Amino acid sequence: MSKRIIINPLTRISGFMEIDVLVENHQVVDAKTKGNLFRGFEQMLVGRSPFDAVYFTQRICGICSSAHSMASSLALEDALRVVPTEQGRYLRDIIHCCEFLQNHIRHFYQYTVPDFVKIEQNPLFQSDHEDFRLPQSINDRISKHFFDSLPISRSAHQMLAVLGGKAPHNHGVFIGGITTQATAEKVVHMDSILDKIIVFIDEKMIPDVYDIAHYYPDYFRLGGGYGNLMTYGSFNHYQDLGTLYVDPLISKMDSGPEPFDENKIQEKIDYSWYKANENSYKPEEVVAEPDMDKTKAYSWVKAARYDNLPFEVGPLARLILSGEYDNGISAMDRTIARALETKKIAQIMKTLLKQIIPCVDVQKKWELPESAFGRGLVDTTRGALGHWLKINEKKISFYQIITPSTWDFSTRDDSGYRGPAEEALIGTPIENPDKPAEIGRILRSFDPCMSCATHVYIPGKQVKTIKVF
Amino acid sequence: MTKQPVLPPEPLTNEAIAARLTNTVLKSLDKGLVKKKNLVYLELNGCSGNIISFLNGQNPDFEYLLNSMVNLRYSNSLMAAEGERAIEQLMNSLDEEYILAVEGAVALKNNGLYNVIGSWKGKPLTGLEAAKMFGEKATHILAVGACATHGGVSAAKPNPSESVGLNQVLPSKKMIMLPGCPVHPDWFIGTLAHLLLYGEPETDNLSRPLMFYSTLIHDRCPRRPFFDRGIFAEKLGDKTCLFKLGCRGPVTRIDCPTRQWNGHVNWPIGDDTPCIGCAQFGFPDAMAPFISYDTTRVVKNE
Repeated sequence: MSKRIIINPLTRISGFMEIDVLVENHQVVDAKTKGNLFRGFEQMLVGRSPFDAVYFTQRICGICSSAHSMASSLALEDALRVVPTEQGRYLRDIIHCCEFLQNHIRHFYQYTVPDFVKIEQNPLFQSDHEDFRLPQSINDRISKHFFDSLPISRSAHQMLAVLGGKAPHNHGVFIGGITTQATAEKVVHMDSILDKIIVFIDEKMIPDVYDIAHYYPDYFRLGGGYGNLMTYGSFNHYQDLGTLYVDPLISKMDSGPEPFDENKIQEKIDYSWYKANENSYKPEEVVAEPDMDKTKAYSWVKAARYDNLPFEVGPLARLILSGEYDNGISAMDRTIARALETKKIAQIMKTLLKQIIPCVDVQKKWELPESAFGRGLVDTTRGALGHWLKINEKKISFYQIITPSTWDFSTRDDSGYRGPAEEALIGTPIENPDKPAEIGRILRSFDPCMSCATHVYIPGKQVKTIKVF
Repeated sequence: MTKQPVLPPEPLTNEAIAARLTNTVLKSLDKGLVKKKNLVYLELNGCSGNIISFLNGQNPDFEYLLNSMVNLRYSNSLMAAEGERAIEQLMNSLDEEYILAVEGAVALKNNGLYNVIGSWKGKPLTGLEAAKMFGEKATHILAVGACATHGGVSAAKPNPSESVGLNQVLPSKKMIMLPGCPVHPDWFIGTLAHLLLYGEPETDNLSRPLMFYSTLIHDRCPRRPFFDRGIFAEKLGDKTCLFKLGCRGPVTRIDCPTRQWNGHVNWPIGDDTPCIGCAQFGFPDAMAPFISYDTTRVVKNE
């Protein structure tokens, strides 16, 4: 007997997402992940001033806006042939660290914890499944931490604003590094907050994630997927500091890490509602046109591929590729990796703060070329983010964005590969198909950001609810 | 009206008892001061940045908001329930009085299918349907952020999703406009507090609360003396007036210069960048280009 399960909306993510899975004998045999909003940033950016890309693209996403300011600034630096100074890079990367801390703490406590912990303080947090296994004392402790985490994630955004002006949607990250200059007062303001965040991570967040893992050990066997991992590199290649986290690397299935080659990035649209001369192209070649009449398409998420293969991106991919985690690839490993990475990022931020020379101005009056091409590839909170832009007559003539969620939540392709999150669901035992806890837990372990997967929207057809075939 | 949740067996340590007593007292005090109302928070076509901003609020913070101001009935970003059970909670709130807060624009293209917020009785529930359905019955409506007040970035040209502001689909309904990208948590929570304590706040002719939106940034800008003396920044990072880099402070009515952001620590002009007019109607297209190194240049096609 097969049963189709639709979850719409998948709450506690950024943006809107729908899941469509087919269950046979209490096991997932097919899965489709679909995003449910479309704004079309690539079309909006054409004709605008290239400088405006930095503030404009941040509006793609409220929880990871700095990520887009990073990628667009890198793409502009590439196009304008600007090499940022090391001080500029440190300052910009400090802002990026603040966003990692904010995002990971919020994703763990506000988005992930309610999947495993009964939060009784408010009806808003009342769950609709019954698989809660923590002993009362641990459950109560972690629910209290749900609220204790709020001032902590908030203070991460305050650190961001100290250098970035405001958050979300900062003004600080720009060509050359950041717009303003660090002063001793700003450095200690951030460092003082950072110390409190580190205490929270050590004393609450990391013990909490391991307690959850202890009582839900089956999730170390669920949500695996293909096992292809990728990072564009993160906090790497500093002139004096070397690589503080991870270089650009990929690994296929069970083979070891190899260098990442950006020429192998592709977008495929075999199963997406788009048309172009080719169904597979390089990011700098085409922004595909919408086409809703394509019969086999089921979603407007494109399929990001590397060397024709789907790749998982994000904290777990980074920690494994950097050699700092080797427990495995699963939903629980992803959640643990995010907590461990929070600590890692806090340490990196400590290191970067120590490098700051006060009052260094990294800004210039930047000149726009008549025409140019540039790309900015950077690993952000959720994984690999790329912006590709072309300038013509000093205006943006082309803009392509491939977000981490376009990798993790990509559609299938003509070679028969599913997207990484779709594949991660295959084989999952579903205990109670009427109240499935497993699907949401596995998908949230990827930290989906459907606001970012901007190409995405529902295929225009009516969605069926749970239906027995 | 407020349902007490069923609590687990209570821990009996001194610390736990003390915490419980304090909370009870605080709650009773708060109840005397503020009468809690239901709040339905809809995220539509946008970046969900306003709810993130509102988690950034301090005094009042999100915790105070939940404990003492509102019963939050629906929030895609925060609620535990998912799928149709989440939408069921949303629909149940129609049976009670509620304040509606909406962030994000309303996408009109393909009958609203560019923004589906969930599935109800087997059909996609579009942002367009939800905005109309919940707007009609709300006691008060708050349009939170630039996308909700006038389409904002979601409606930037060529506006591929045909996004519009909330008032375009609820033309006969009165609503309070809180433009901003994102909205400052104080503008949102402060407006809500006014509604709960004293009723509707005084607004200007564009429905913006005067307590936040009365004065131009330019009139209270700490760099105004440089403007008056004609001393202008030539690049980002300079400490003088940013007018010639494209600052929209002279056309933007909001209290950023005095309030500042994220615990009142900084703001865009404090970061040596021009205001991009995100709290003014027309953002972003009417405010572009955000940064230009010579505003006195001759421009083609503009």
